[in-house]
Amino acid sequence: MDDLARLVAEAEAEVAAAGSTAGLARVEAAYLGGKGALQAQLKTIGSLPKEDRPGFGARLNAAKATVLAAIEARRSDLAAAEARRRLAAESIDVTLPGAPPLLGRIHPLTRTIQQVKSVLIGLGFRIVDGPELEDYAFNFAALNYPEDHPAFDEQMTFYVDDTRLLRTQTTALQGRTLRGAQLPLRCATVGRCFRYEAVDATHHHTFHQVDVFMVDEGVSMADLKGALKQFAGAMFGGDVQVRFRPDYFPFVEPGVDYSIYWQGRWLELGGAGLIHPNILESHGIDSERYSGFAFGLGIERIHMIQNGVSDLRWYLANDLRFLRQF
Amino acid sequence: MRLSLEWLDQHAPTGMTADEAATTLTMAGLEVEETEESDLGPVLNIKVTPNRGDCLSVVGLAREMAAAARKPFIDAVAADTPIGGEAADLIQVTIEAPDLCPRYAARVVRNVTIGTSPEWMQRRLSAAGMRPINSVVDVTNYVMLELGQPLHAFDLPLVRGSAIRVRRSAPGEAITTLDGAERPLAEGLLIIADAERPVAVAGVMGGADTEVGPRTTTILLESAHFDRKAVRRSSKALGLQTEASYRFERIVDPDGVVRALNRACDLIAELGAGALVEGVVDVYPGAAPARTVTLRLARVSQMLGFDLSVDEVRTSLQALGFEVTECEGEALAVQTPSWRPDVVREIDLIEEVGRVVGYERMPEKLPSGATTQGGDSDLGRQTTLAREVLVGAGLTEVVGHSLVAATPLDEDGGERVAIRTALSSELSGLRRSLLPGLADVLARSVRRGQPQVALFEVARVFHEAPGGHTETLSIGALLHGAPSTDAWRSADRPAPADYYTVAGLAQALCAAFKTEPPVLRRTADARFHPGRSAEVVVGGEVLGVAGELHPTVAADLGLRERAVALELSLAGLVAAGRRTMGFIEPSAFPGVIRDLAPRIAADTPYQAVRQAALDAAPATLEALALTDVYSGPNLPAGSRSLTLSFTFRAQDRTLTDDEVEAAMAAIRASLERECGATFVV
Repeated sequence: MDDLARLVAEAEAEVAAAGSTAGLARVEAAYLGGKGALQAQLKTIGSLPKEDRPGFGARLNAAKATVLAAIEARRSDLAAAEARRRLAAESIDVTLPGAPPLLGRIHPLTRTIQQVKSVLIGLGFRIVDGPELEDYAFNFAALNYPEDHPAFDEQMTFYVDDTRLLRTQTTALQGRTLRGAQLPLRCATVGRCFRYEAVDATHHHTFHQVDVFMVDEGVSMADLKGALKQFAGAMFGGDVQVRFRPDYFPFVEPGVDYSIYWQGRWLELGGAGLIHPNILESHGIDSERYSGFAFGLGIERIHMIQNGVSDLRWYLANDLRFLRQF
Repeated sequence: MRLSLEWLDQHAPTGMTADEAATTLTMAGLEVEETEESDLGPVLNIKVTPNRGDCLSVVGLAREMAAAARKPFIDAVAADTPIGGEAADLIQVTIEAPDLCPRYAARVVRNVTIGTSPEWMQRRLSAAGMRPINSVVDVTNYVMLELGQPLHAFDLPLVRGSAIRVRRSAPGEAITTLDGAERPLAEGLLIIADAERPVAVAGVMGGADTEVGPRTTTILLESAHFDRKAVRRSSKALGLQTEASYRFERIVDPDGVVRALNRACDLIAELGAGALVEGVVDVYPGAAPARTVTLRLARVSQMLGFDLSVDEVRTSLQALGFEVTECEGEALAVQTPSWRPDVVREIDLIEEVGRVVGYERMPEKLPSGATTQGGDSDLGRQTTLAREVLVGAGLTEVVGHSLVAATPLDEDGGERVAIRTALSSELSGLRRSLLPGLADVLARSVRRGQPQVALFEVARVFHEAPGGHTETLSIGALLHGAPSTDAWRSADRPAPADYYTVAGLAQALCAAFKTEPPVLRRTADARFHPGRSAEVVVGGEVLGVAGELHPTVAADLGLRERAVALELSLAGLVAAGRRTMGFIEPSAFPGVIRDLAPRIAADTPYQAVRQAALDAAPATLEALALTDVYSGPNLPAGSRSLTLSFTFRAQDRTLTDDEVEAAMAAIRASLERECGATFVV
């Protein structure tokens, strides 16, 4: 073994023995650096016979390449090991609780209203808004309530004066919307209503309603039934059945009370029917050509059914322990 | 109306069980709310809608039951007696208010022995919720239940002049009613009077002066038709609702008046409670002609949404007592029975057909007309945008009451909309501000041991104003303490909310609605801490207020920490906002940042410093941020140091150092000149 071969063997042994990338850098400098052992061999080239010089140069280059390859291979191993050690040292208890983001949340009634609106908008209904402090005329007279009739007794009303009251039903908006309306028309309104009711698990003086109505040529009770099936299906999920039971509301004829069959039971949802022709005619709509349906239901009721809430009072109590769950 | 199943079965023999009968009636629109047991068997409690006065009777309900069950209906029968007869010689009936009393009939019974009614009658009365009193009164009540016609018995010798005058009450008149109450009568109420005085409030209650009692020998039995509005007015005026007034308000069959009277007389005779005087006095000035409504078969199918045969339509209507008088081609001429004044139009008949045929036959279709464009309302979109900002800031939405008491926190300077005849202070008016509702939630949360809250509401507020009230959308927020968090590292715990938290919310809302940046100006709003609150002004308009609640307000709420609140008009934000769409293309050229730290008197508001800097800045100033406010011992007393960070950038080129230095020199000079700023470097 000549000097060159010995140097390569020594270098390889030292590379293998290097325990860190820093140690390896020292080995690299010792053999391949400007003052390194292999570099020093270059100086011996002048003492060789002329014909041996090219051969030695080639062997020297090969030796340097061999050592460099060994260093690179070792460096990559060492770097990986060092990275592993560093990462291991940085390890933390990943089971500690995360830093809680500061999340706001909307009220469950808002969420339900958003769901109702999005279903109705998808069915081509335009959302409209009306006043909560309403004219007597729109809340009752325009809805075909007979003058001085016991039908009023069923809706104990908060009056401000003879002409202004807190709307007892979102249906009050119908007259405002039908006045001068472009037909066909599909509208819905969602909002607060007020009735003098003793507050209990199923009654409140303040509650929210959605009222939906459409006017077009040839709208029938069967269309109403189909629309309700679609709406209820979207709100509650699954293939719901709709059932009508005759009921009386001055603003619809026929008037019904509708229920859906959902999860093995019939649930009463609200009132519905065909818009009374008296109302259509009072807005100059030809009731022979056009007919319409209307249905309404309580927003609280929807959320109660969806979540199994049994007491209406939770919604206006604003107990954060309740709100946080939705 | 409460009704024993066996009585119903007598007139509609269906052989149904109580449950079956309840379902049948309910699906016909007569909701059976509950079924109870009695010594007569099951009793149904039926909710009758206000349009169906005819169903406040056994025969009315039986007719519906029989039609729904497709079984025969057995009507009640009464023996006839001639018009006039001897009765006409004994009493004189005059209707002086024919507009309020279209019909008044009466009969006379002699040799009356007032005893108890038979057990079968007492049981039926009890099952219906009526107390048995004596044979004559029980008969009148029994016939009212059976036929729906309220009756009244007068002790005839006590009726002065044997005269019945149906008239409006005169000023100053009063009556002691059967319940023993002496009642002054408002002028113009419909009453029954004898020759001298009121003896009954028509359709509501009789008077004590002519009451039938143990010594009664001769009675005058009244059966009349009173106007529903007249009875309702009396009932409301006297605060007295009776079985009779309840029925008259919902309209009793005018054609059934004499039959009910005769039926009562039959029962009195049957019970041996008296001797009938032949003849009936029947004054009927207001007889209405029978109504005929045309019903087109095609229209029935069109409105209900499925096809029906002419036979089905005819038999359905006939089962309910409608007479199909003509059948021409595809249209029927339908005469409505006298007990159905609610049926006036074709659509009413269509509902009747639908009810009898049964809605379960109706298919589910979908409207097939032109499609319409759905979408949310403007208010809906604006509300959603405000909510997004506040939820994004970590606040929890609440839904407060619109009806509130008049509290100091509701005093926003505007006039309150008050509820007439409020039952309680909590329901006495409409809120002018969202703050009372938010404060109420906070106070209850504090009491529950959860004092740290960050709440908001977006809802309507109301103000009375000359020429009409306003109803506008408002945004309210209330924060107390640091947001509650489960963080275990102190760095993750947010700071308690203070004035700057709500000022920041106001600025964020203005930015979201694309208004100019708001100017914050000290306010004199008494609800807030005078030194820690501000009006939020945009474009010269005051949009709301932000600040710390006044310590006395906070103390009233039971708060230990400072609470901060914001209320902004959503309508105002929308009005002040930019509605055009568009954007500014971000510049491709580098920006230059320079800081400046002027020392300024501590009582100079930042707003003035900022304005002085902006006034001197060139158009290339992209942003001005305040990055530090320092006041401390190494500054002269009464001064503070502000660190202002200026970012310059041009759309079309890289700025030169000279340009930026010139701009900074101008800003510096302006701050010295306008604010008395000094600079250390």
